[in-house]
Amino acid sequence: MHDGVTRLPWGRRFLLCPPRHFTVAYEINPYMHVQVHPDPDAAMAQFDGLASTLVAAGAQVELMEPAPGLPDLVFTANAGVVDGEVFVPSRFRHPERQGETPHDVDWFAGHGFRVTPLSGDEPFEGAGDVLPFGAGSEPGAGRLGPVLVAGYRLRSSVVAQTELGQLLGVPVRAVELTDERFYHVDLVFCPLDDRRALIAPLGLDRYGCRVLAELVPEPVWLTDDEACAFCANSVVVGDVVVMPSCTPRLGAILEGAGLSVAVSPVGEFLKAGGGCRCLTLTLDVVLSSPRAAGSGGPGPERSGSRSTSA
Amino acid sequence: MSPDATEIVRLDGHVVDSLLLPKVLDAIVDAGATYRILELEMGKTTLDPSHVRIEVAAASEAALDALLAEVQVHGVNREDASDASLVDAPADGVLPADFYSTTNLATWVRVDGRWLACGRPEMDCALVVAPDPGAEEVAVRMVPMHRVHRGDRVVVGWRGVRVATPGRAEESDGFGFMTSEVSSEKPKAVSLARVAASLHEARDRRRRGTGGRVLVVCGPAVVHTGAAPALARLVRDGWVQLLFAGNGFATHDIEANVLGTSLGVSLGEGVLSEHGHANHLRVINEVRRLGSVAAAVESGWLTGGVLYECVRAGVPFVLGGSVRDDGPLPDVISDTVAAADAMRAQLEGVDVAVMLATTLHAIATGNLLPAGVETYCVDINQAVVTKLADRGSHQALGIVTDVGLFTGELADRLCTTA
Repeated sequence: MHDGVTRLPWGRRFLLCPPRHFTVAYEINPYMHVQVHPDPDAAMAQFDGLASTLVAAGAQVELMEPAPGLPDLVFTANAGVVDGEVFVPSRFRHPERQGETPHDVDWFAGHGFRVTPLSGDEPFEGAGDVLPFGAGSEPGAGRLGPVLVAGYRLRSSVVAQTELGQLLGVPVRAVELTDERFYHVDLVFCPLDDRRALIAPLGLDRYGCRVLAELVPEPVWLTDDEACAFCANSVVVGDVVVMPSCTPRLGAILEGAGLSVAVSPVGEFLKAGGGCRCLTLTLDVVLSSPRAAGSGGPGPERSGSRSTSA
Repeated sequence: MSPDATEIVRLDGHVVDSLLLPKVLDAIVDAGATYRILELEMGKTTLDPSHVRIEVAAASEAALDALLAEVQVHGVNREDASDASLVDAPADGVLPADFYSTTNLATWVRVDGRWLACGRPEMDCALVVAPDPGAEEVAVRMVPMHRVHRGDRVVVGWRGVRVATPGRAEESDGFGFMTSEVSSEKPKAVSLARVAASLHEARDRRRRGTGGRVLVVCGPAVVHTGAAPALARLVRDGWVQLLFAGNGFATHDIEANVLGTSLGVSLGEGVLSEHGHANHLRVINEVRRLGSVAAAVESGWLTGGVLYECVRAGVPFVLGGSVRDDGPLPDVISDTVAAADAMRAQLEGVDVAVMLATTLHAIATGNLLPAGVETYCVDINQAVVTKLADRGSHQALGIVTDVGLFTGELADRLCTTA
């Protein structure tokens, strides 16, 4: 607790996928160049570094078995959206990634989740484009409960996100992603606690900036350089912000907010356009009853979980 | 008809808090298009989605398509995204069950994902989709039941059919009194000025080559009340481009000019002429002998009157028959279905219609006219105007007055010739 701020009630349990089959085999975002291959050993070392940073911050890490031919399976944030025991799988825009979904669905079905696909055929790329904000507000405080901040246009359809909001019973704030470099909302938005979030206006239009400025009581606006350095693609574990990089300016703001910064370099994954957040999927999000999530919550069984040894 | 391409779209979700609605409306305006919010159902709580129906109008179908493609990404979808259902007509003159019955409003039909404008609107018809002669694409026509052929592709149900919002096209035409207005209390001078202004505007449209044909529909009372000479002047001076009437009006018009009576009554003195009851039959007989009204004019036997001026000025007239007709005159089409077809065939470019003292022909004509036609119904009997409106011709402006006085004053206002 810091200044009456409530830390995020989720972010203690993450799904990761080791980069054994990770490479750049196609180009579906401006960072990918098939001529520029990530170094497998360096990628594995960075992955292990990220996992151990999360564990050190107090999180539990579960691992999904990687699969040959699905190099982007490492970016588990795009697998789908979790709410309690419900898993809503993604429907990838690009055919290159559509093979990941059966793999994701198998994992979640095998771990006690109720797999609930959206209807229709509109694209939807999971937690990469939908982030809950404001879940920690006290009941009766006159503020919104959790709201899904959803980025649309480049990868996900606003129609699918509207349906997701109705399915989960959560209001949606849809913001348009206007810059190809920030193709998922987790590149421009990162909830820090129940009052603060990192926001990169570079990837938004004036409407999106206004929506987020009204939603977030204390926004932390990223400079364009910070946005381009993927600062928003961070993972928050309690009061630790695990970031791909940080500037002194931003570090000072975060520390002033009672948060500590843990930089976890993921340069090999940036070659495919993904940072810390893209490499993780939060498994303990409970939108309908956020207060139940604090001590592990009801949630799905954990028999299949493994902690990393790193 | 509205020159605009319009589409009704929907936007659902948390579109107010996400500023999607203002963003979409801004995008519409930025594209030079216009919008009208038809429905806005706000979510009652922050959780409830809102629903908005918006009518978008752009300068062309292409501009509209481009705009809708642009805003689709914000969740905007065409309300009716399905093609019309088509079923073959089972026999000549027989429509498939559940056929779409038309209104007199501008109508579009969606075929293969494209909205096709129908030709001249007419109520109580079917929509037939057929290859457009001379073009690669198909066209949609409004076809009356009896003109449908076996195997014609007929629209059934209501999906894929869009009708112009009443009032919209008319607003752009500057025709302000679309609702049925009828009152015996209305100042006649005001009504007269409206009709005169309407005929002046029609003349301007004719000069620009954009429609402006004026149709006059006449009952026999036009002759009895002494309005015929004034109407003849209007025809002679080029204020009338088309005339519909029946056997009665035509006969009395000729009788008045050849014998000076109407149904045997002297138009000058108002007394019954000797054996005058047979006057109209003798007139009909003579025209039958000559072959036609035009032949009667050419022979020099008919030398004045409304039909005489029509023949002289080349103004087409259609005389529709009825079961009570004497004779009838050789020009009268006594097959009523054929008569209605002959009337239809003349309606291209008509955008003003003046109904003078006729119930039967006013309603018959009202059934054929698109809603955008400025229609004036002049009758001493208020019920005629009400009947016309009740049958769907809501655009009619009723003027309850003596047709003789009214027509005389109208001619005095418009005509330069004596």
